[in-house]
Amino acid sequence: MIRAMGMIPCEDALARLWEFLDGELSLEERDQVRRHLEVCRRCYPHYDFQRAYRRYVRRLAERERAPEECRRRLFQALLEEGRRQEGA
Amino acid sequence: MKGRGLWERVETAWAMLGMGERQDVPEPAPDTPEHAREDEATPAEPEGFHEEALPYLDAVYAFGLRLTSGDRHEAEDLVQDTFLKAHRAWDSYERGTRVKSWLFTICRNTYLQRKKLARNSRERAASDLDARIDALSAASAFEKGPPDPEGHFFDQLIDDEVVRAIDELPEEYREALVLSDLGDLRYAEISEVLGVPVGTVKSRLFRGRRILQERLRDFATERGYIEGGES
Repeated sequence: MIRAMGMIPCEDALARLWEFLDGELSLEERDQVRRHLEVCRRCYPHYDFQRAYRRYVRRLAERERAPEECRRRLFQALLEEGRRQEGA
Repeated sequence: MKGRGLWERVETAWAMLGMGERQDVPEPAPDTPEHAREDEATPAEPEGFHEEALPYLDAVYAFGLRLTSGDRHEAEDLVQDTFLKAHRAWDSYERGTRVKSWLFTICRNTYLQRKKLARNSRERAASDLDARIDALSAASAFEKGPPDPEGHFFDQLIDDEVVRAIDELPEEYREALVLSDLGDLRYAEISEVLGVPVGTVKSRLFRGRRILQERLRDFATERGYIEGGES
């Protein structure tokens, strides 16, 4: 538990952890959380875990690719749509 | 709209869709005059649509896939409908806003319309879950500690298990989580897509992530990746 002078308590750091990782905090708030994490053995593992989770899920999304048939269908549909609009 | 030649626009659409060698659209004869090529079959392309919207095909597909809890056919249909609607409404797209979040909005609205029409949704009792989750105070959850301080936990999970865990989240949490964690949207953008305040986005994200992590912890415990008592 960190209660050092000028340092936010663990509860505050943990409560802001997701916003910290999501890049949603102000510069000042980011700095407060970062300084806390640098010295807190209790909170850092939470940060580490949540960061690993985020990286993992992001990689998962990047691997998902629309099938070739889906691309082909969309391409044809857009061509037809364009022709329809042009003819209208 | 008429500024570019047909084949330039076709090539752009093809390239932006990440397609391979084109076979099903015959090229015009090289000696065909450009105006004749235009008149022959000129698909209108709203200015910039192919370059700005089509690169998000995979992102919309991934979003649709998770919206539909992994139904690939439905996700493909959502992709088609989303991009066709976007194509038709491109003139009304507000420049300067993010195309990706606009496409996600269309995709979600399309999904909701389909769901309403089909009337066969698998709506879950999110309120029951809310009550259950609310009962777990943030403090008690934190006291448990992460299952693996080093984050190696995720290296041992099988992707299908994680995808399944995401797909099984209550819809309102899943939407927020997918838009943030997979779609990389900001809270404000998610708020616009879902039509809820930013505070609600934060709350849904927080809860969705917590449920997901609990599920993943269960998977890991069941398979012996981590010890049950560790959590």
